[in-house]
Amino acid sequence: MSDASYLSLEKLTLAYGDTVAVADLDLDIRKGELIALLGPSGCGKTTTMRAIAGLLPVKSGQVRLDGADMTRVPANKRAVGLVFQSYALFPHLSVYENVAFGLKLKGMRGAELDTKVQAGLKSVGLSSFANRKPAELSGGQQQRVALARSMVMEPKVLLLDEPLSNLDARLRLEMRTELQRVQKETGVTMIFVTHDQAEALALADRIVVMKGGAIEQIGTPEDIYNRPVSSFVADFVGFENIFPLEGGKLRTSGGLIELSGEAPSAAGLAWRPRMVTLGTGPFRGTVRGTSFAGDSREYLLDTSLGAIKAEVEAALPAHALGADLLFDLPAGKAALLSKFS
Amino acid sequence: MNARSLFIPVTLFLVIAFLIGPFLIIVAASFSAGETLAFPPQGFSLRWIAKVFTVESFQASFAMSLFLAIGGTAAALVLGIPASYALSRYKLPGAEIVRTVVSAPIIVPGIIVGLALLRYIVVPFQVGITLALFVAHTALVLPYAVRVVSASLDNLRSDIEEAAVLLGSSRLGAFFRVVMPNIRGGIMSAFILGFVTSFNQVPVSLFLSGPGVRTLPVDMIAYMEIVFDPSVAALSSLLAFLSIGIVFAAERFLGFSRYV
Amino acid sequence: MFQNRAEALALALPAALFAAAVFLVPVVILLSDGFRSPVGGWTISAYTDFFSNTLNQTVFLRTLKLGALVTVVSAVIGYAAAFAIVNLEPGAKGRMTGLVVLPLMISPVARTYAWIVILGRTGIVNQAFQALGLTEAPLRILFSETAIFIGLLQLFLPLMIISLISALENMPKDAIPAARVLGANWFQVFWKVVLPLTKEGLVIGGTLVFTGCLTAYITPAILGGSKVLMLETLLYQQVSVSNNFVSASVIAFILIVMSFAANILLKRVATARNKMRSQP
Ligand SMILES: Nc1ncnc2c1ncn2[C@@H]1O[C@H](COP(=O)(O)OP(=O)(O)OP(=O)(O)O)[C@@H](O)[C@H]1O
Ligand SMILES: [Mg+2]
Repeated sequence: MSDASYLSLEKLTLAYGDTVAVADLDLDIRKGELIALLGPSGCGKTTTMRAIAGLLPVKSGQVRLDGADMTRVPANKRAVGLVFQSYALFPHLSVYENVAFGLKLKGMRGAELDTKVQAGLKSVGLSSFANRKPAELSGGQQQRVALARSMVMEPKVLLLDEPLSNLDARLRLEMRTELQRVQKETGVTMIFVTHDQAEALALADRIVVMKGGAIEQIGTPEDIYNRPVSSFVADFVGFENIFPLEGGKLRTSGGLIELSGEAPSAAGLAWRPRMVTLGTGPFRGTVRGTSFAGDSREYLLDTSLGAIKAEVEAALPAHALGADLLFDLPAGKAALLSKFS
Repeated sequence: MNARSLFIPVTLFLVIAFLIGPFLIIVAASFSAGETLAFPPQGFSLRWIAKVFTVESFQASFAMSLFLAIGGTAAALVLGIPASYALSRYKLPGAEIVRTVVSAPIIVPGIIVGLALLRYIVVPFQVGITLALFVAHTALVLPYAVRVVSASLDNLRSDIEEAAVLLGSSRLGAFFRVVMPNIRGGIMSAFILGFVTSFNQVPVSLFLSGPGVRTLPVDMIAYMEIVFDPSVAALSSLLAFLSIGIVFAAERFLGFSRYV
Repeated sequence: MFQNRAEALALALPAALFAAAVFLVPVVILLSDGFRSPVGGWTISAYTDFFSNTLNQTVFLRTLKLGALVTVVSAVIGYAAAFAIVNLEPGAKGRMTGLVVLPLMISPVARTYAWIVILGRTGIVNQAFQALGLTEAPLRILFSETAIFIGLLQLFLPLMIISLISALENMPKDAIPAARVLGANWFQVFWKVVLPLTKEGLVIGGTLVFTGCLTAYITPAILGGSKVLMLETLLYQQVSVSNNFVSASVIAFILIVMSFAANILLKRVATARNKMRSQP
């Protein structure tokens, strides 16, 4: 086993009955890495997690963990933790008993058990809630019980399915830091699912972007943010001006357009609104909409290329609706897309 | 196929075979051409099915059972709908006592209900058997009527009556104009459940039979003790298809299972 | 909520008075008969007499035994069946549930009657046993406890399955996978998660089945015959053959006490388990 593949999925295909949900997925994860699984609803994130945990039979391919083939190992023998989107706390058990559940199954008893459970509760700040039932906790507290319940098992891999999605903005930020701290302290390998690109960028060592049951791109947050490989990823991470490239020219709703500067070789180009030069340039557009966002201002332009979004510093003088502006899409700044869909 | 994936189909097959199989055997046996009840059936004929319609006591007891099931259930609804309405919409003093009293006949063995009625109502007050049976079946269906109608009343927002009253309707008018139309499905379901319960009921009717006055199931048991031919099987099959048909139609048109 | 008391009583009293007059009062008088001394005053001698008779003892114990056995067996089969049904696709789930409910719509006379064809001397079971060479002469299955057991199980299993299906469906959706991931094998998943979370359905189903067994008349009458009696059939015999109304009253009281006791006992068992496990 190389260090680069502590957990590896090889040509993993997963199906519900005859409908394939994930096809030929390859993924290698290093020990101690924090991976974010990002993608639109229904792209197979939960399905992939369930297969890693052993809750869904694998149709073909392999799941390997720490050098061993896990593909046919049942869920209760995998040492994989899973925090469910619904938390899945046992409603008939107290918080304490929930956290102790897995440890007891391992045969742990008495003082050793108590020490572990108390430590687990303490690490998520719920020591004083030990005797409550899950129904008597807030959503965020339930989430933390679910986290503690998985963490005390010291899993080789901890999977979190949209762990922060049901929390309000403040709690979300709090739990984000919490997750990061736990991960740094224990060094556990973690995969978490999220819909939220900001969350993925902030937390993850690497981000896996999924689309339609396959991986679209794997990379560091910088890679994903600055160098999306496809129009899909570009769109997902906030590029708003995305065009296919044909023979060095931009295909727009206004026909093929020659760019200023050297035309790069790629399937498409993408610019964030901030990358659009406003005030000078070969193209002309009319302001159709404007919105103020604190330290910046966004303009929606009607142009011969179609609609263009541009963003400039708010300190600059504002343009009125209907104003005619010159602008440029500098080829040098664009993200080069190797796939356009 | 491994053991786990076989578990579901095998379990289901065995359970359904155990639950439905005997009934299918009865159906097959009713088409037998032989003289005695047996499986596999000897030959094929419709003679036993035809015979069901010629046995006179069956005709009389079928009419009696039909009368009891329809009349008793209707009476139970006449008593049960107002009671359910009071239980669900009013602050009723002693609501729990009322609820317990009307639903008690469900908990006490039917044979006891029948015996008690015979000893302390029929004999001392010289009540006719038919009336006694009618009263007994009404009491028996009452708990089901109250339960099902209450459930559909509880599913109906209570502010619609208040709205109707505010719009100038009387309380009674509000009930008939806005409540009844909305719980019609529940009432029909209660009727069907009551009908099936009453029609299939034996123990309550056991002591309450007199010369020529018997319910159909009691009559069937009596017939079987004397003649063991496939006509009872034929009759059973016919009745079963009748109740299955009614319940199916009810489910189709009313969503019966929502209320039961 | 309307506040008018007179109106509420006017609506509720007809039903309550009717049930009281034709049901409650006669049944209470019937029950009190068993405690009435022939020389005036109250006594429990009818009960001591009843239980000193060995035939009565046998019938009482048989009723208790068959009720308990049918309840336990239907719970075991019921969990397997309900689990299988809950895990089906939505369409198939509806159809299977329909098939389970179907027998409830069929007259118990017909359902019991079928077993005569199956279990009789020349019935299918005996035919099969003889064809396989398992027995020489036909076995006597009918008119035995076994026959009553089979008949009662078939009669009441649907009630247990239905109760357990709704209990299983009301379980939090990821509870079972969560237990699996935390290291529970299937047996532990059932014992530590499924059972405690569905115990209310089990109590409801168990009470329905047990009470059903106590109060069933047709099945023991047809499948047990006049020799293998249960309390219900004994009661009928006492009245129709021996005209012994005191003894009938005693049996009636025992039956009612047994159904209530079963209900309370099952609830106790469920809550006791619960208390035990919530101690850290
Ligand atoms: N139990 C199931 N039976 C059949 N199909 C399913 C089942 N669960 C999921 N699917 C399908 O598999 C695909 C992937 O689903 P999955 O739950 O993995 O999506 P996801 O990426 O987690 O989405 P979300 O972000 O909405 O949670 C979807 O098309 C979904 O419809
Ligand atoms: Mg999901």
